[in-house]
Amino acid sequence: MSDVTEPPAGTDPSSAPAADGELYGLLAEYDTPGELVEAARKVRDAGYTDFDCYSPFPVHGIDPAMGIKRTILPLVIFGGGFAGASGGLLLQWYCNAYSWGWNISGKPTWSIPANIPIAYECAILLAVLTSFFGMWAFNKLPQVWHPLFRVDRFTRVTDDGFFLGIEARDRHFDADKTKALLADAGSIAIEHVYLDPDPEQKRMPKWIMGLIIASTAFALVPFAIAAKARNSKSSEPHIHIFPDMDFQQKFKSDQANDLFADGRANRGEITGTVARGWLEEDEVFYHGLEHADAGDSWTTGFPKQYPDSPAIVPELRGQPFAVDMKLLERGRNRFNIYCTPCHGYDGHGVGMVPTRVRQGGGNFDARNLVEAPSATAPGVAIQMPNGQLFNTISNGFNRMMGYAAQIPAGDRWAIVAYVRALQRAQNASHDDVPVDQQGSIK
Amino acid sequence: MSLTKSLHPDEKYKAGKLGTTMSLTGAALVVVMGVLSLILGGAHGDNFKRFFYAFVVGWSFIVSISIGMMWLVILHHLTRSRWSTVVRRVAEAIAGAFPIIFLSGLGFILPVLFGYKDLYYWAHPDAHNDAMNHVLIHKLGWLSPSMFALRYVIYGGIYSGLAMYFSRKSREQDESGDPKLSATMRRVAGPGMILFSFTTCLFAWDILMSLAPKWYSTIYGVTFWGSGCIAGFATLALIVLWLQRNGRLVHSINEEHYHDIGKWMFSFTFFWAYTAFSQFMLQWYGNMPEETNWYKYRMFGDWQWVSIAILVGYWAFPFVFLMSRWTKRIVPSLVFFAVWQLVFHWLDMYWNAMPSYDWTVVTHAATSINAGPLSGPISQHHVGFTPVDITMWLALVGVLLVGIGRGLKGNLIPVKDPTLGLSLAHEQL
Repeated sequence: MSDVTEPPAGTDPSSAPAADGELYGLLAEYDTPGELVEAARKVRDAGYTDFDCYSPFPVHGIDPAMGIKRTILPLVIFGGGFAGASGGLLLQWYCNAYSWGWNISGKPTWSIPANIPIAYECAILLAVLTSFFGMWAFNKLPQVWHPLFRVDRFTRVTDDGFFLGIEARDRHFDADKTKALLADAGSIAIEHVYLDPDPEQKRMPKWIMGLIIASTAFALVPFAIAAKARNSKSSEPHIHIFPDMDFQQKFKSDQANDLFADGRANRGEITGTVARGWLEEDEVFYHGLEHADAGDSWTTGFPKQYPDSPAIVPELRGQPFAVDMKLLERGRNRFNIYCTPCHGYDGHGVGMVPTRVRQGGGNFDARNLVEAPSATAPGVAIQMPNGQLFNTISNGFNRMMGYAAQIPAGDRWAIVAYVRALQRAQNASHDDVPVDQQGSIK
Repeated sequence: MSLTKSLHPDEKYKAGKLGTTMSLTGAALVVVMGVLSLILGGAHGDNFKRFFYAFVVGWSFIVSISIGMMWLVILHHLTRSRWSTVVRRVAEAIAGAFPIIFLSGLGFILPVLFGYKDLYYWAHPDAHNDAMNHVLIHKLGWLSPSMFALRYVIYGGIYSGLAMYFSRKSREQDESGDPKLSATMRRVAGPGMILFSFTTCLFAWDILMSLAPKWYSTIYGVTFWGSGCIAGFATLALIVLWLQRNGRLVHSINEEHYHDIGKWMFSFTFFWAYTAFSQFMLQWYGNMPEETNWYKYRMFGDWQWVSIAILVGYWAFPFVFLMSRWTKRIVPSLVFFAVWQLVFHWLDMYWNAMPSYDWTVVTHAATSINAGPLSGPISQHHVGFTPVDITMWLALVGVLLVGIGRGLKGNLIPVKDPTLGLSLAHEQL
């Protein structure tokens, strides 16, 4: 540290290169952050405005000492966050509610609570980007070239040097008076800073420009590929970016495989065996079918008992099948979960999905399960035998998908029982109400 | 400019009779408002049910304030904070109100223990009815009056113990000036923080969440703590200002410290909203009846207006305004928000507890299938502000003042804390 031995103030160690241009200003070094703050205050009080302080770390109290007004960056960041939140909401509204609304179990396409997390993240993202780039912009960064970089001593500003520089363009600037002021404030060294006479030095280094151009061009490559793919046809197979995921070392059903005599990867059940729980011997219970010599027909009643099968819950396994309140409550419970989105709680075929479709101007009604047959109404469901209702729940009908995979057979029968109860209730007359309660609904 | 300062020679840092004045004021408030509440509660004609609900609301209000400041004290030691050294004694005094607060809470714990059935539904005989409350009966081992009272004693012991430990060690340092005591407290602060967090979670589940015993949310305790911290920092700002108005600590605490108190209030305003929304979001989206039920009665009917008021008043408005620097540095503005947030904190506690007040029995086909809080038609659930809600709140604020007043004695600033100089010279960048 040769600097320490230098005479304190007023001297010019002339470390700047000889071939100098115009005077840029004066640079003074101070020993401690506290002295820097004091010096800044004195320089400010003397009326200077074009000066700046340089330190390795943020110094408490330097802003008021220099007379710097508080930055408006927070307001700009708030604006960024606000734009992010509203932009996030707008994006979701456009995608989910306006451009491509999906009807999922009749849920609304636009609902604020569901959109808050995305809006929140967008607000954070834009606020952070604004603060990051805003800070650079307000500080006029990056500066690849600065006259102060020509002073050797100044390199210590990233380590332990505290500097104050006054620019020559300041209206109070006077080489001698300013120097005296800086020295008076307790500087340990003062240097004259000159601009580089070579204008080339002010340019951004070529390699940085090259890097920026190259990375920008590289960033455009994916977009170019996407644009080309959208506007051309090709008979080539598509590019496999992750071949080990696209081609895994396993066989899928219905693929070819040379290992087996029949050339198929699929291995069927061994002849004469049935997987546990898949025997489904009881045709009434599992398929709603009655066997007769004349041919199979839909059963009109209910199964006699639960099969003694591992697919049935233990407490019902092999038990008699009773159509009682317990079964109806179970049926109501399952019906309300699986059937009501389309058929509605009352079975009239106007659940939430048809309701939303109607709101959107469309026309889709589910089957009216409780409609009584008349001159104008077919009353399809009410005339179906129990077995056919059961089969419809299991395997679907028209646009309705089958529910065999989701609802066990016993529960499907419970639903059949509950639908029968619904049909009875929805077509009930006043006389069906118990006598002692008839008065209350007159 | 310097990084450290010494205590101003003219500084008045002895509490003198201030603490006694505060305690006496609090005691007067307790007596007047307590008697008034008993009369109003009796006149309500519901076997004191409204009275006890108001008791739980007001009590949650004061206990959460102490919980918030207990957290600040532990955090201060855990992180070797510097800014908060000058206000730590006041925070210790607020946390030091725990013994008094838990003593006052016996006012509703003892009736529950000795068979009062109308406050907590799980203490009601209906809760044991398998047909009506099949899920609830599995919780009744935990939610039984004797277990509840036992846990109450444990919570009170842990909170009071933590508060007294940090206060005692801190005052010990006032005498000896031993810097090793700071290290000792820092070592205790780590396990102390873990203990404090677990206790607070379980505590919130027991006192407030079990008012709707069929509902549950694991984040509930965190939200309660966040809400309590808002109120805690608001109370801290008000009491520090009150001390300064009485000539204490005028040179030591300045807008730099108020600014930090304001920052904490702001951050917890957002933290509370974040966790409260997290809880709402998952339950709303999950759409399971046993979870959405709690919100159903708060999103529709009378209560939706309270919910909207809390959303706007407790979060949106203070969030936008406390974001700025000046609202936290100008003392009248900070005081405005402190009072504002305290009022809304009470409303938040009210909103957490009171919808459970209207118990109904839902019958179907001549059998009771559902009973207790948060059941039946939404139209039967009313906000129904009554005078006893307010008088009980004020009576319990009196309890808090008695507790805090007890702690405001001797030095109001940890005079020999090694970080005091840094705290006095504290400056925002």
